Amino acid sequence: MAGVAWHYVLKFIITGDAAVGKSSLLVRLTDQRFLSNPDPTLGVEFGSKLITIPEESKVVKLQCWDTAGTESFRSITRSYYRGAAGCLLVYDVTSRQSFLNARTWLADVRAHADPNLTCILVGNKIDLCAEDGQPGRRPREVPADEADRWAKEEGLLFVEASAKSGENVEAAFVQATRDILDKIKRGMFDNDRSPGVKLSRPSNNTLTLEDDSTRTRCC
Amino acid sequence: MEFLSQTYIALRGPTGAPQSPADTISRLADRLSPSTLIADRRAAVLSLKGLARDHKADIGERALPGLLDVLQNDAEIDADIGKAVLETLNVLCEAEDGASAAARELGFKHTDQVLADEKAAHKIFALVGEQSFYLRFAALQYLATVLQNRRQVVQGHFLKAPAGPTSFIVILDDKREIIRNEGLYVVKSLISQSPEIQKILAFEGAFEKLFNIVLGEGGIDGGLAVQEALACVDGLLRFNQSNQSYLRASSLPPLLLSLLGYPPDLPHDAAPPQQFALQLWDDKQKRANAALVVSIIGILAKSTGPNAHDALTFAFNRCLVEIGLASNMPTTIKTQALRLLPTNLSILPLAHMVLTPYIPVPDTNGEEWDWLEPASGLDALVELVLHGEYNGILEGERRTKDGMELRAAAMGVFQNFVQKDEIREAIVQAMVPPADASEPAPVTPLLYALTAPPAQPLTSAAVAPTHLAAFLFAHLLRGSPRAKALALSIVPRPSSQGAGSFFVPADGAPAAPEPEAEEADEPQSLLSILSEHLSLALLARARADTPEREAREWDRLLVGYLTLLAQWLWEDPGAVRGFLEAGAISMLVEPINQTADTDVAIPGLCAFLLGVCYEFNREPGEITRSTIYPILTRLGLDMLAGRITHLRDDDRFKAVGPDTVVLPYPGVLAPHPAAGAPKQETDEAEVWFDWAFVDFWKSNYHTIEKAIATDPNSLSASAGQDTAMMVASLRDVIRNQASEIEALQAQLKSLSATAQERETLHEQIASLSTELQEAQEKSREVEKEQEDLLVLLDELNVKRRRDKARMREAGLDVSEDEGDEGDEDEE
Ligand SMILES: Nc1nc2c(ncn2[C@@H]2O[C@H](COP(=O)(O)OP(=O)(O)O)[C@@H](O)[C@H]2O)c(=O)[nH]1
Ligand SMILES: [Mg+2]
Repeated sequence: MAGVAWHYVLKFIITGDAAVGKSSLLVRLTDQRFLSNPDPTLGVEFGSKLITIPEESKVVKLQCWDTAGTESFRSITRSYYRGAAGCLLVYDVTSRQSFLNARTWLADVRAHADPNLTCILVGNKIDLCAEDGQPGRRPREVPADEADRWAKEEGLLFVEASAKSGENVEAAFVQATRDILDKIKRGMFDNDRSPGVKLSRPSNNTLTLEDDSTRTRCC
Repeated sequence: MEFLSQTYIALRGPTGAPQSPADTISRLADRLSPSTLIADRRAAVLSLKGLARDHKADIGERALPGLLDVLQNDAEIDADIGKAVLETLNVLCEAEDGASAAARELGFKHTDQVLADEKAAHKIFALVGEQSFYLRFAALQYLATVLQNRRQVVQGHFLKAPAGPTSFIVILDDKREIIRNEGLYVVKSLISQSPEIQKILAFEGAFEKLFNIVLGEGGIDGGLAVQEALACVDGLLRFNQSNQSYLRASSLPPLLLSLLGYPPDLPHDAAPPQQFALQLWDDKQKRANAALVVSIIGILAKSTGPNAHDALTFAFNRCLVEIGLASNMPTTIKTQALRLLPTNLSILPLAHMVLTPYIPVPDTNGEEWDWLEPASGLDALVELVLHGEYNGILEGERRTKDGMELRAAAMGVFQNFVQKDEIREAIVQAMVPPADASEPAPVTPLLYALTAPPAQPLTSAAVAPTHLAAFLFAHLLRGSPRAKALALSIVPRPSSQGAGSFFVPADGAPAAPEPEAEEADEPQSLLSILSEHLSLALLARARADTPEREAREWDRLLVGYLTLLAQWLWEDPGAVRGFLEAGAISMLVEPINQTADTDVAIPGLCAFLLGVCYEFNREPGEITRSTIYPILTRLGLDMLAGRITHLRDDDRFKAVGPDTVVLPYPGVLAPHPAAGAPKQETDEAEVWFDWAFVDFWKSNYHTIEKAIATDPNSLSASAGQDTAMMVASLRDVIRNQASEIEALQAQLKSLSATAQERETLHEQIASLSTELQEAQEKSREVEKEQEDLLVLLDELNVKRRRDKARMREAGLDVSEDEGDEGDEDEE
C-alpha cells in the first residue's frame, strides 16, 4: 500500500505564466495523460510521483505543487518558494512574452527561495512547432539556443519539453532531481534543515510517522 | 486589585477629586503614547485591561488607537506588555453568543477597527510565532476571537502576512499542551473555507503534525486534542482536491485504518481481527474521535482520481462495510460508514465479500458477543435492512431513530448496488424457479420477508421486514422490463408456517373457510400473493375496531405493497393483467370510495395504482380498458384525480427527501411505558416512503391523472397529443429493440465461439501462408542460384572450349571429355 520505499522526499514547485502548461506538465508526470482542455478551476495543483535515479540507486518521491492561484497572495507564494527543493520554471516556446516573463518569475524565486534551490527552465509545447506541420501548429517564438544561453547565464538547468507528447517531461524532473541529489552528496544541504528535502528510511512499512518536526523555522 | 486601586489613586487629579471613568480612560490613553517610558505604558495598559470589561465603549473610543500602537511597537520587545495589550484587545472585541445585541455589536465594531489595518493583524500572526508562553498564548486567544467575529477578513490578512505560514504552523509542534490545544482551535477556524490556506498549511506539513498529535495523544482513545486535530484534518481535506491528492500520496492514510484497529494490509480473504470488530464504546470522546476518522476515510475513499481500484481505496471501502455490517461500533457511526460508501459500488464485490456479523449475547450489557455464520456482504446488508441492527435484539419493539437511520442507510447501499441491470436481474433470477423446475427456487430472505403473511395483531416490529422488503424489491424492478418480466415468474415455495395462518378479517364474523387443501398446495405466483396480502390488509384497515396504533401499522404495510405494485405495474401490461385477474379493481375501489377520512395516503396510492392499471392495461384479457372505464367514471374522474394529487399533501410523503427517509414518530401515539417502568425519553422513529418512490411518483402522477380521463379506446394517456403517441410508439420500438438486442446477444455468444475458431484458423492460415511464402522465396532463391550456376557453368564451358582450342593450337595434348563430345559432333 502506501508504505512504499523511498529514500528522499523532495518538494518541487512549478511556476510560470498562466497557460504555459504547468498543470498539464503535472498531470503528464503523475498520470501519463494530457488534457487538451484542462479545467482551470479544477485544481490539478498537487501531484506526487516516485522516480528512480539508477546511478544513485535511490528512489525519490517527488511532491509537486502548482502554485497557480496564489499570484494574488504574494507572501503565500513566497512560502512555497521558501519550502521547496526544486523549481520548474515554465514558459511556452510559442510565446515570447511567457519567456520574457520568466525573468520576473526567476527574480521572485531568487528573492525568497533557499539559495541552494535547483531550478530548471522548461520550454513547453515544443510539439506545436514540430517539423511535420500538424494542424494547429504555431511558430516558435523562442529559439532553443537563446533560452539555453540565458539558462547558463543564470545557472539554471534547461530542457525543452511537451506535456502533450510527454517528451522530456519526466526527464526534466529527473534532471533536476539528479542535481539536488548531487548537492546533497556534496553536503550542500544539511539534511535535517534544508527546506523541501526529507530523508526517509527505505522500505518503511511500519506505521510510524516520518518525523517532520525536526525542521525548525528558517529565515 | 490592590494594584488597580493604587492606579486609581495615582490618577486622581491633584485636587483628589474623584474622576469620571471617561476621564480616567482618557488619561490612561494619553500614557500609551510612545513618548512615555515603557514602564508607564505597561502600567497604563494593565489599568485599561482592568477597566475593559466594564467600560468597553469608552476604552474603545478613547484608547484603541493607543493600544494598537503599543501592540505594534512594544509587544514583541516586552512580553508582559504584549500579553496585557492582547488580553485587553480580546476583552474589547469579544462578542459572545450569550451577550446582549448591543454588547455583540460593540465587539464587532472593535474587531473591525483592529482589522482595518493589516499591520495589526500581521503583528498578531508574528506574535503567534514568538516563543514566550504568555505572548504566544495570548496572541492565539485573541486570534481565536477575531476569527470568530470576522473570519474572512483575518484569512485575507493571513494570506498576505509577511511572517507567512511557516512560523505559524510551529504552534502545532508546541509541547505545551495549552498552547497546542488553542493552536488547534485557531487552525480549525483559520482553514475554514479557504482552499489557499488549506493548501499552504498542507505544504508546510500540517497533516504530518496533526497526525503526530493524534498518535501522541493515544489515537481514538485520546481526548479533546485528538478530536480537534482530526477535525483539522477533515477541514484541510473536505473540499480540497489538491490536499486529498497530497494525503493519498503520503504514507499517512493507512494510519487512519490502524486508528480504528483495522489492519491496513489485511488480505482480501482474511477477516478483520476481533479487536477491530468488537471494542468498548462507552466513552463519548472515543465515539466522537472514531466518527471523525470514519468521515476522513470517507473523503479519501471517494477522492480516488484515476486509481479507483487501488488497494488503498479497496481497503477503505471494505473497512466501511465491515464497520457498517460486522462490528459493534455505535449505530450512528455504522450509519455514517454506510452512507460514505461510493455510489458506484462496482468497485466493491459486495456479493462475494464474506463477513462475520456479531450479535450481543442478551442481558450481558454489550460485554459478550456471539458471532454469526459468515455471510456474504449482500446478505448481511439485506438482513440489516429487514431485521435491523443485531436482528433487533437490543431494540426489541422500539424503533429508535438511530436504528431506523441505519436501516435506511443500508437500503441506500442496496439501491446503489443494484443500479446495474446485470446485478438486479441476477438477484431476481435467483428467485425464479429454474426452467427444468424439478425443485422450486429457494426462498431468499428478501422474498420471505416480502411474502410473509401479515400477523395479527400487527405490530410495528412485524411490519418493518415486509414494508422494507417492498422497498428493496422495488429497487430491483424499477425501470427494468427484464427484471419485471422475471419477477412475474417468481413462484415462492409455499412457506410452511405461512399456510393457514393468514389473518382473515371478518368483523367478528367467523373466519372465512380455509382454502381447499389442494389449492393451498398449489404454489401461487409472487404477484398473486402480494395481491392477496394487499386485499387482507385493506380489509383489516377498514375494520372499525382496530386500535389507532395498529391501524397505523396496517397503513404502513399498505404503503409498502401499494408503492411496490405501482412501480412494478408501471409500463408492464403483463403484470397489470395478473393483478387485475387477482381482483385488483374491487379491492382498490373500496378505499378510494371511502368518505370523510383525514388520511389521504392510502386512498391516494390506491387511486394512483388504479390509474396505472387502467393506463397500462394493454394486453388482451378478461378485464379490458372498456371494463374499467365505467368504474372510473362512476367513481368520478375529478374525485380520482383529486385523490391522486392529494398524496402530495400528506405530511409523511412531503417530509421525504433524498437524504430524509426516517421521520420522528408522532409523540401522541408513542406507546406508554408499562406501568411502573420509568418513562423513557422516546426517540422513536418510523419510515413511510422512500425517496425513490417519491421521485417516481412525482415524475409520473401527472401522466396517470391524464390517463384516467382518456377514452378506453385511445392508445395512451394523452392520445391526440402527438408527443405522447410518439413516446408510446417509441417505447414499443425500444422494447422490440431490446428483445432484438437480447436475441442478437445470444446469437453473438454462440457466434463468438465460431468466431474464436475462425480466428485460430485465420492464425493458422496466416502462419501457413508465411511459411509458404518463405518456402517459395527459398525455392526461388534456390532456382536463382541454380540458374546462376548454370550460367556460370556455361561460361566455364565456353572458356574451357576456348582454352582447349588454344591449347590444341599450341600443340598441347588435350584430354577429351564428355562435354566435348557434343562439340565434336558439331565439328
Ligand atoms: N500543444 C500543447 N498544448 C499544451 C501543452 N501543455 C499545455 N497545453 C495546453 O495549454 C493550455 C494551458 O495549459 P495549462 O496546463 O492549463 O497551463 P497552466 O495555466 O500553466 O496550468 C491548455 O489548453 C493545454 O491543453 C503542450 O505541451 N502542447
Ligand atoms: Mg494551471
